[in-house]
Amino acid sequence: MNGLVKQRVAGGILRRGLATASQTPRLKTFKIYRWNPDKPAEKPRLQSFQVDLDDCGPMVLDALLKIKDQQDSSLTLRRSCREGICGSCAMNIGGRNTLACLCKIDQDHKKETKIYPLPHMYIIKDLVPDLTNFYQQYKSIQPYLQRSTFPADGKEVLQSVADRKKLDGLYECILCACCSTACPSYWWNQEQYLGPAVLMQAYRWLVDSRDQAGAIRKNMLQNSMSLYRCHTIMNCTRTCPKGLNPGLAIAEIKKAIATD
Amino acid sequence: MLLQLGLNGCYRGVVRPSVIARASRTLGKRFNSQAVKTTFEKEHEILVAQRGNRPVSPHLTIYQPQLTWYLSSLHRITGVILGSGFFAVTIAFGISTLFGLGLNTENLKNYYKEKVPAWADWTAKGTAAYFFAFHFGNGIRHLIWDTGKELTIKGVNRTGIVVLALTAIGGTALLFK
Amino acid sequence: MLIVPLGLSRGFRNGIYCARNLNRVLAPALPTAYATKRLISIKPDFSKFKLTPPPPGGVVGGVNDAYKPPEPNHFHGSYHWDYERITAVSLIPLTTIPLYTSLSGGVVHPLLDASLCVMLILHAHYGFMSCIIDYIPKRKFGLWHDMARYLLYGGSALAFYGVYELETNNNGIVDLIANLWGEDDSNVYMFGRN
Repeated sequence: MNGLVKQRVAGGILRRGLATASQTPRLKTFKIYRWNPDKPAEKPRLQSFQVDLDDCGPMVLDALLKIKDQQDSSLTLRRSCREGICGSCAMNIGGRNTLACLCKIDQDHKKETKIYPLPHMYIIKDLVPDLTNFYQQYKSIQPYLQRSTFPADGKEVLQSVADRKKLDGLYECILCACCSTACPSYWWNQEQYLGPAVLMQAYRWLVDSRDQAGAIRKNMLQNSMSLYRCHTIMNCTRTCPKGLNPGLAIAEIKKAIATD
Repeated sequence: MLLQLGLNGCYRGVVRPSVIARASRTLGKRFNSQAVKTTFEKEHEILVAQRGNRPVSPHLTIYQPQLTWYLSSLHRITGVILGSGFFAVTIAFGISTLFGLGLNTENLKNYYKEKVPAWADWTAKGTAAYFFAFHFGNGIRHLIWDTGKELTIKGVNRTGIVVLALTAIGGTALLFK
Repeated sequence: MLIVPLGLSRGFRNGIYCARNLNRVLAPALPTAYATKRLISIKPDFSKFKLTPPPPGGVVGGVNDAYKPPEPNHFHGSYHWDYERITAVSLIPLTTIPLYTSLSGGVVHPLLDASLCVMLILHAHYGFMSCIIDYIPKRKFGLWHDMARYLLYGGSALAFYGVYELETNNNGIVDLIANLWGEDDSNVYMFGRN
């Protein structure tokens, strides 16, 4: 009897896990989208995994890495900073596009959570989308300062506090692609419509007082597809994990070029 | 393996090619893979072939129903239906005059009053009333957005609820006028 | 030279085989292609109606190439957007005033009615055009996109003619809708009409 008690206590201390872990595990089901490029003929499917919430960190990324670590090491996902600044772990959790490292797990273990990759993207494997097109579009808006003249004293290009304030809410974008892949217009016309993320960055450079290529930037958007496929659906702002507002930025671009 | 990556030309001046080749052979033996001498074009062909197999991730079926895109799709659907109805009526008048089919307000009204059953009448009127009220209200919401106002999550939800309320009230008022 | 009619050759395999061999015997100098393929074909070319599939994996060009936007055209860009908003804004008074007039038992002036119809046709035209560009894009549908556009333009033209008809030989659209909706509201008190 004594030995049994000692064993249990010792086991409880030695067992790897959180101090909150109790004897009855709170198992939550995660249904995760799986597709293997080595077996391309097999259709993508949802695979169920059970995770003890008492033995897991609070964020969905913790659960995913726990699954990868302890249950199925072939689960493939992008991740890096685990603090919501790199934008790698963008995926569709519970129907919403967000960063897995910032998305708290719904602690109701009776409900299952579905995890899909970003919507309407070509999938390389499991939760990893192909963002090549997204990056090509970002490159096309020339996201760098362009000037033809420089200050006479050879020192920095000055910017007032008020002008710098205009960039707040625009420069913080981490290009995670959550907003663009939440936009139905981007779903249907990905190849030609630039999408909220890229358009917000186009606006960021348009409104930067140090930039002198405003006319060129505006001219690039003068066609039926690049900017004007936006119908103010506002899914982008709703889903941004950093709390930014691409929809407003796009409306401001439209206002800016309306009288061109 | 390294040859496949095309790295055979660019080592940082410290590790000799023979060392790299030997290392790649050892690793190849350990992991059951083989280094294949190939060109960039052939590798690119493989990549393009792989890209062709990739599935598209689900979208409409899995995305959470939200006021944002639900109201937007409703705006489009109501617009298309109302527009088709309007075009249908005006085009009917146009065609009738072109081919002398004799359609005018009077006999259209008589036909409608006599031949169309009550349930169809109520359906048509209800559709027209509620759809028009919604499209009108949401149209004004869009115009407000175009000025740059109310383009926040709170603003979108606020104006969305207002539009839905006005649709209910206005639509019912139009229907029972 | 024996020429087997195109459509019938499917029916008799043997026939074509005999014809080919006969042809080889009878006209050895001629290339055998002549027996089975004519220079002019009456088969219609449906390849233009095929849908263009997207590039593999959605990627065009190399991973470091920027996306290439089309040539700037203000008429497809900001001007179009301006016209859309102008027609939409103008429709607000153009719908509310006739609605009020009609509900309070008055008669809508023909010019007001006509301008309402014209603006409504333009507004619906822009709306449908937006749908065509969104759901029947040219890069995927090629010829079908153009056909949809022509259909829309044709429809709008006919609609304009129909509106002309409505205004000249009839009492206008507001009167039409009022009639269809039912005039039996003598027991309803509305907007100051007694």
